[in-house]
Amino acid sequence: MRRHAVLWSMIVLALVMLVPFFIVALNAVKTPDEYSTGGPLDLPSGISLDGIIAFWERVDFGEKLLNSVVISGSVAVLAVVVSVFNAYALGIGRVKGRLWILVVFLIANTLPQEALVYPLYFLANEVGLYDTKLAVIIIFTVIQAAFGTYLLTSTLGGFPRELLEAARIDGANKWQTLVRIVVPISRPTLGVLFVFFFIWTWNEFFLPLVLLISNENQTVPVALGVLQGQRMMDATMTSASALLGVIPAIVFFLIFQRALTRGITAGAVK
Amino acid sequence: MRKRLLAAAVAALMAVAGCGGSDEASDPNTLKLWHFEGPDSAMGVAWAEAIKQFEASHPGVKVEFEEKGFEQIQKTAPMVLNSKDAPDILLYNKGNATTGLLSKQGLLTDISDEVTKRGWDKKLGPGIDTTAKYDDRGVMGSGKWYGIPNYGEYVMVYYNKTMFDQQGLAAPKTLDELTAAMAKFAAAGITPLAVGGAEYPAHQIWYQLALTKADRGWVDRFQRYTGDVDFHDNTWVFGAETFAKWLREGYISKDSAGVKAEDMGLAFMQGKNPIMISGSWWFGRVQAQVKDFEWATVPWPGMTSGSSGNLWVVPKGSKNKQHAYDFIEITMSPEIQDKLRDAGGIPVAPSATPPTDPKVKQLNDDFQALVDADRLAFYPDWPAPGFYDAQVSSVQKVITGQIGAHEALTEMADYYKENTASVGK
Amino acid sequence: MSLVPTSIRDRGSYLLFLIPGGLLLLAVILVPLGMNIGISFTEWSGAGEPEWIGLDNYTRLMGDGTFWASFRHNVGLVVAMAVLPTLAGLVIAAALFDFIGKHFGSKHASVLRAAVYLPQVLPIAVAGIVWSWILAPQDGALNEVLRAVGLDSLAQNWLGDPDLALWSVMGVMLWIQVGYPVVIFMAGMQRVDPSLHEAAELDGASWWGRFFHVTVPQIRPEIFVVLLTCTIAALKVFAPIYVLTRGGPGGSTNVPSYYSFQNFFEKTQVGYGAAIATVLTVLILVLTTVFLRVQNRGER
Repeated sequence: MRRHAVLWSMIVLALVMLVPFFIVALNAVKTPDEYSTGGPLDLPSGISLDGIIAFWERVDFGEKLLNSVVISGSVAVLAVVVSVFNAYALGIGRVKGRLWILVVFLIANTLPQEALVYPLYFLANEVGLYDTKLAVIIIFTVIQAAFGTYLLTSTLGGFPRELLEAARIDGANKWQTLVRIVVPISRPTLGVLFVFFFIWTWNEFFLPLVLLISNENQTVPVALGVLQGQRMMDATMTSASALLGVIPAIVFFLIFQRALTRGITAGAVK
Repeated sequence: MRKRLLAAAVAALMAVAGCGGSDEASDPNTLKLWHFEGPDSAMGVAWAEAIKQFEASHPGVKVEFEEKGFEQIQKTAPMVLNSKDAPDILLYNKGNATTGLLSKQGLLTDISDEVTKRGWDKKLGPGIDTTAKYDDRGVMGSGKWYGIPNYGEYVMVYYNKTMFDQQGLAAPKTLDELTAAMAKFAAAGITPLAVGGAEYPAHQIWYQLALTKADRGWVDRFQRYTGDVDFHDNTWVFGAETFAKWLREGYISKDSAGVKAEDMGLAFMQGKNPIMISGSWWFGRVQAQVKDFEWATVPWPGMTSGSSGNLWVVPKGSKNKQHAYDFIEITMSPEIQDKLRDAGGIPVAPSATPPTDPKVKQLNDDFQALVDADRLAFYPDWPAPGFYDAQVSSVQKVITGQIGAHEALTEMADYYKENTASVGK
Repeated sequence: MSLVPTSIRDRGSYLLFLIPGGLLLLAVILVPLGMNIGISFTEWSGAGEPEWIGLDNYTRLMGDGTFWASFRHNVGLVVAMAVLPTLAGLVIAAALFDFIGKHFGSKHASVLRAAVYLPQVLPIAVAGIVWSWILAPQDGALNEVLRAVGLDSLAQNWLGDPDLALWSVMGVMLWIQVGYPVVIFMAGMQRVDPSLHEAAELDGASWWGRFFHVTVPQIRPEIFVVLLTCTIAALKVFAPIYVLTRGGPGGSTNVPSYYSFQNFFEKTQVGYGAAIATVLTVLILVLTTVFLRVQNRGER
């Protein structure tokens, strides 16, 4: 049966994609001795949660988790809002020179982050935002919104004009049109953006490493870096920390992935 | 309804984000201290005790200790030290490209007066204090004191005694004995050396081999720019050709180009390769985790990579310098130094009581012998910023056969020349 | 479909919506970009006073073989991170949406999509460690599997052989990247009017026929978005190289972004690093502009 052939090939693909996660989990529950004698790929003799517990306590993981949620959550919300505004003007408003405006916005996405480090450090230090979560939130809001602006401008370009026309005839102004018509209909895309922004920000490492110096401000990936010594790596604890770091992002994705499937009706608007 | 929820959520998030900033004012009753050693390492154990003692002898003063990632301190130190968030004391990497650079940039406190006043200079032997002093070009070995090391480290030969016994081999004390042992293993179908070509181990071996023919003057010319360096002199050429020979004979696997240091250590600890030429930083881990075979160490014949450990430095912006000096004083006390030794480290000023563990005793005795004979030669990547990556790359190419040993020397010479030209500017 | 007639004044008020985004962009991106360009005309170690040296960094760049080689490696990464994920993503998304979603329920489709997307969630530092275990030459998982099924000759030194390392990195990047187009394309397919498919089916079009003539043209905006953003990501790729190979062996996987990082933070030649970053930015921007024009023309 062809359908089943497709199903099975997809299942095989999914399993292959998951192999590295399996290896992470495997090493997260090993003892350091088991890792040293058997290597990363041997099965452990039992489940040891010591590495996970030790890492949690060593870096005060609860605090890091909260920091990451605050930063990623704020960025995801703010970047979606900024993207909607931008794309409303560019995609539906079709303002003059929109192609060039879009290119300018996309600089945020094209500029390698290394190039931003020294200037952003300098500016943040000048305005007193160095070593604050707010600085990181603002920066990633802009960087993520560049992508959001581009994606939304693309999709809003094909927005059904009749709906806008109808709203205008009903006497809605631009703000009302945006809030009542454009945003609800674009919700599936906004949901996708929200999920992406959250996860991308969650995994950002380099700028938080440089800008969030105090332990009380650090995010999960930065805390993970504590385990990479000068010449040593504690592989079991690294795996344990990876597992801890990845679980919240997976949970988040699974919760919100319903948002990705819900909006089938949007296409039905004629 | 949903909109209101969203708005409330945003407001709450922003509130948390805003108030979590760094608003701690400078407080004479704190010591803000950063280091990047794990809590189970010899240093981590000793320093935890030092913090306790400091708080006991300074009633009312609290130590605000933060464990940092090595990477984070490395990459961000100049930025942090330039801001108001600088700690009062921190552990920093030794060498020209690190502490030397910071001292040149004026970000560290000159602690020379404290050093003489408190007699730290007498506790640190020659060769160990080299990395604590920097001149105004940021070059180590002379000038003012900018840091104090608590411990030492050096590269040696770890070998699997069980496997050596099986082949009827004795401890490889000389280069000839080592070569003979490797030949025997290779003939038995065992790759003798565990090597990680993707990181520091391979080019350290490359340097070790040259060091068998080197003297202090040669090392100083290379590391401290006291004279011309010729990468095609007999010393370098001997090292390069021997390395190439080891590769040819199969003592070093061609597969090792992509192997990381971690996996080199694992290969030795799993008994896959009987010999590992690497640093004392492996000692504690090998001791704790090797259970299936007997192992031992011998010092490298000749001069060897090694130096003081990382340094306690006091930033220019430190708000409690006296506390910082008091803390360093405690770390140099015999009690803390012994604690460091008993946890598997190499203290610079231990008490007269010898350690109980025979392996730890040998580790420390060997180090003392190296210091007394002035045989510490630092590390090959120190002389130029970014030399690490360049050396990894050149030696990798030798391992994979893309270039010959002499070409690798030429590459290194070019890099060295280009990147040391700006030293002192 | 009729276009809403818009007057100039009308368009003007749309500009108001660009103000918040524009101001943020100015502060966080444009000013720092200007500063970076400024730094690229200096010699500077990251602290102290930069020294003005004019175009020296750029002239040096022109003759720097490492720099040009790093761009060649980028081409391979564009294939692995943009072209292949887009193609694979289209097929996977369509299979999940049309087959699994319709015949086995959207639950199944969601679970499978989640599995394909998960690599995007894994912090890259961890992905690097895990993949170096899998690709290890002697006892890595991949070589062990190959040997177990009797394909010893295919077991390779995946990250240590200069001829292979770039290919291995490309494979890992494909693994990381493919979930992203799948999610975007599936979201896009939900926009597609089902009656288009029904009509095509009535005309007797096969699944592949509908795929090429209905699905692909309908989600064209998403395809453009994925291609462009993935290409940008590929051109400035940094973290995977840093954790997997550090540009090695022997520079065979070096990329401009890593090269500029080396100059920024390891060689402390901040001016030169800034010059590399500037050239890279300009190049990506030019590409982006060309791309957008093509896309724009396609939309008209």
